Amino acid sequence: MKLEDCKVVFAAVGLIGVLILASPTLGLVLHLPGGEKFSELWVLGPGHMAEDYPFNVTAGVSYLVYVGVGNHMGSSTYYVVYVKFRNETEPLPNVTTGAPSVLAPLYEYRVFLEDGGNSDVPLAFSFSNVSFSGGQSTVVGLTINGVPFIVDKSVSWDAVNSGYFYQLFMELWIYDPASDGFSFHNRFVSRWLNMTASF
Amino acid sequence: MSHGVFVVRGADEASSSVGEADVAVRQAFNATLDAERAGANVSGLILRLNEAGSVLAEAEMALGNGNSSEAAGKAGQCIGIAESVKGDADVLKASALDGARTVFWASLAFSVVGIAVFVVVLALVWRWFKGGYVRRMLGMKPEVAADEA
Repeated sequence: MKLEDCKVVFAAVGLIGVLILASPTLGLVLHLPGGEKFSELWVLGPGHMAEDYPFNVTAGVSYLVYVGVGNHMGSSTYYVVYVKFRNETEPLPNVTTGAPSVLAPLYEYRVFLEDGGNSDVPLAFSFSNVSFSGGQSTVVGLTINGVPFIVDKSVSWDAVNSGYFYQLFMELWIYDPASDGFSFHNRFVSRWLNMTASF
Repeated sequence: MSHGVFVVRGADEASSSVGEADVAVRQAFNATLDAERAGANVSGLILRLNEAGSVLAEAEMALGNGNSSEAAGKAGQCIGIAESVKGDADVLKASALDGARTVFWASLAFSVVGIAVFVVVLALVWRWFKGGYVRRMLGMKPEVAADEA
């Protein structure tokens, strides 16, 4: 081996050694970009499973689902989940434009999660003052987690699917510290509910 | 008439209190985020923020349902928790920054001293190796190879 070749080997060993010794400090100064940032929103049935969701509902009976949120945003995050109720003619959120539903929220959850954390909260609901007449169903009262709301919504009989269909849906909103405000996080989950008469 | 004025004023005060609670929770969260960025463990703060958030949600829904006194009470409770979280987050941040500063200077000192010692040792090894290499070359005797062509 020539002396010049040995010199190259020494230089390479020297460079590697310097990088290894500098790595503790470089690790504190350099911050590599993390993975993809996203949030999760889900709804589970009363057994914390994706089954046994309430579908045929009636006045005076309490139903239970669980609403879950997962944080993969790279840091702790402040979320608000808005619970809304609609009939089939009222608008859902538009995920294409990222616009939330214009309906006013009934109930809300405020959730703080560390990165990688998730939380699910119970959503118990029941209906009151439900009436049926002339091919129409009307719901006046909706109680969520013990808080009563006047919703006063009507739907017509759906001949195709055979039922009076209402929809309970949950929108995920996220707090942005830079603008000090909340924005719709373009995620929502929903459950169709077929209102039936109690006998 | 006076009863109506009293109700409206109560609703205004409750609305104002809930607004203040909302701001307090945001400030507490921002302080927690700052502490987290400084390297602090904020798990305990997040738990208390969830408690504050839950009370704030109850206050907002009570306000929406026209229950001003409950809304004002919940808002006050929420502000108390949020201010406590903010104070603790500021302390945690300062502590984390102190710790991070100590770790930074310790690792910088380790890197600088380590690199200096490594370079000196490498230079000495190179000198020794180069000397040996030259001596070995000078000690070689030239040989005349047969011209096979």
